[in-house]
Amino acid sequence: MSSSATRHAVTSARRAGAGDGTGSVELRSVRKSFGGVTVVQDLDLSVNPGEFLSLLGPSGCGKTTTLRMLAGFEQPDSGEVLISGAAVQHLPPHKRDVNTVFQSYALFPHMTVAANIAYGLRQRRGIDRAEIRSRVSEALDMVQMTRFADRKPNRLSGGQQQRVALARALVNRPSVLLLDEPLAALDRKLREDMQVELKLLQSRLGTTFVFVTHDQEEALSMSDRVAVMLNGRIEQIADPYTVYERPATAFVAGFIGQQNFFDGTVADGGRTIEIDGGTVLLAEPVTTPGSGAAAVRVAVRPEAVAVAEAAPDESDGSANALPGTVAAVSLLGDVLQYVVHADAGHELLARVPRRQAGRLAEGARVRCSWAPSDVHVFPAEATPRAPIGSAK
Amino acid sequence: MSSDRRGPRAAWRAVPSGLLATPALAWIALFFVAPVGLVFWYSLGRKPGLYQTHANDVLTLDRYREALGDTFLTSFAGTLRIGLAGTALCLAIGLPFAYWLAVKVRPHRRFVVLALVLVPFWTNFLIRTIGWQVVLSPEGFASRAMQSLGLIDTPFSMLFTRGAVLLGVVYNYLPMMILPLYVALDRVDGSLREASKDLGANRWRTALQVTLPLARPGIAAGLLLVFIPLMGDYVTAAVLGGARGNMVGQLVASQFQQAQNWALGSAMAVVLIVVIALTILATAAVGAACTWLLTHRRRRELAGIAEGSPA
Repeated sequence: MSSSATRHAVTSARRAGAGDGTGSVELRSVRKSFGGVTVVQDLDLSVNPGEFLSLLGPSGCGKTTTLRMLAGFEQPDSGEVLISGAAVQHLPPHKRDVNTVFQSYALFPHMTVAANIAYGLRQRRGIDRAEIRSRVSEALDMVQMTRFADRKPNRLSGGQQQRVALARALVNRPSVLLLDEPLAALDRKLREDMQVELKLLQSRLGTTFVFVTHDQEEALSMSDRVAVMLNGRIEQIADPYTVYERPATAFVAGFIGQQNFFDGTVADGGRTIEIDGGTVLLAEPVTTPGSGAAAVRVAVRPEAVAVAEAAPDESDGSANALPGTVAAVSLLGDVLQYVVHADAGHELLARVPRRQAGRLAEGARVRCSWAPSDVHVFPAEATPRAPIGSAK
Repeated sequence: MSSDRRGPRAAWRAVPSGLLATPALAWIALFFVAPVGLVFWYSLGRKPGLYQTHANDVLTLDRYREALGDTFLTSFAGTLRIGLAGTALCLAIGLPFAYWLAVKVRPHRRFVVLALVLVPFWTNFLIRTIGWQVVLSPEGFASRAMQSLGLIDTPFSMLFTRGAVLLGVVYNYLPMMILPLYVALDRVDGSLREASKDLGANRWRTALQVTLPLARPGIAAGLLLVFIPLMGDYVTAAVLGGARGNMVGQLVASQFQQAQNWALGSAMAVVLIVVIALTILATAAVGAACTWLLTHRRRRELAGIAEGSPA
């Protein structure tokens, strides 16, 4: 929590620096449909100057369409798009003060790397040759591609092309940089390196970044704030820590990281929830609309679940604990992941640091338990995506 | 023969891969290289008598001198004009159409439009051209309809003019321009156009700096596919041009068929081949020079950045 607060302080300090609103992005009740299918519905979004905001969601959630409306490739059916405080929804892409890094990079194959980067500058009036040259040179330097200035894009690796695409967009010094899954085509190691580089670059330049991704780790590791999208709406928008630790909806809880879900009913005046084979204690009582036993969905993170060996005869679950049998063990680097078949029928995921505990064998009788503070409760609406570890 | 089961396959692998091209090469050698060689050989001979078509007992360049006479040169200049104008018109009409087809038309409708482009090919070339004769004739329905509508006072006088020939060749060769252009434009990734607009270029600058340069191979293919057969075409000219639409193709054909003077016909054919080749080379040179000039500034501006030399 404290690190989250520090991050906030850093961001707001930077925001205060750009006081005139240059670099801000705002969407006001934006709606877009394609052939009768609504892709973005009544979307409100506000990005602060200098912020690194990620649009995160599964494919088809409307995140790319949202980005394309910011770039000007799509026009919203209704609503307003504001960039640096000015309404731009009717402006064509070439008149907007934004630049895009495309998923496919979209480098011009008939031009050299340097000519690709110079392209945007050459479209403008009032930039002389010397300035084009020095800015191209600077941009090449920024992405460490100076050596490759005279190459054609088809003679570069994926990572190099990605850097050129980044330089080609940033050389124009846009108020807002739009990135459409720019790292999706890179292999894992390179992607992780580029995540760090992008983040450093962004904080050095102070440019607003709007970053579209379906990779939740990427979104969490890079962003000041994450907007989690589903079915054309924003489910939650918050800093990564809040999104991870206090998901607003069951979908967010399941999409960011993994969860154990249990369906149950509220009991004991909102202090506990009855699930199959056990009782879940809550840190704070929940208030449910109406009276009686409201149906809810309970989520517990795999890393919050402790696994302990149990006596073979122990079979009744106490509060916040379920007895069961280890079905599978896998090593995920630093952590061990157990899949536990609870006696009541649930399948639980548990992750424990590898060094902390001795390894339990498959078939071992165990007791899975968690703290009341690690429990999240959501209304039992049908979630569109069956999360791992859900009951039944 | 061999007990080794992989024997035949290994033997097959030992066959040089160039063998696969042998049928095509043989075909070209027999039906293209040899006839052209023969035509060149005949062009150095003479027509010895009334009942003989050619003889090479004396080698001479006289046939060329004969071929480059006034009739031929006038007709030749006209042919070249029609060839260049027809090709240019095909490009001017075909390029916007192919762009529209490749970029604007929804993918599932493209095949319908492409099929419509090809429909005229289902009819015989000659019949299509004679069809135009019906349309253009002064007593034709088009002329009468326009007169009754008051658009024109006197009957059409378009048939048997160079204009009619031009119309006919553009009609006949336009699909040969559209198809390669469409293929080339279709292969230009749409995200490149988006990137160009994103970087501040409007649609015209995007077309000039990104789309057209990338479609260059298709443009070259279209120009060749139209220009070469057009220069040799004499059916369209004969049907729609009459006496005034005389093209070199007709002169060559009449030397071979009516006059039975294969030597002179061959000389004319060789001159035609040489002029076509020179025109293509000249066009290619102009194209290369234009590209060089257009990219010259860009190259000078950015030269030596890789070495980190100062501006």
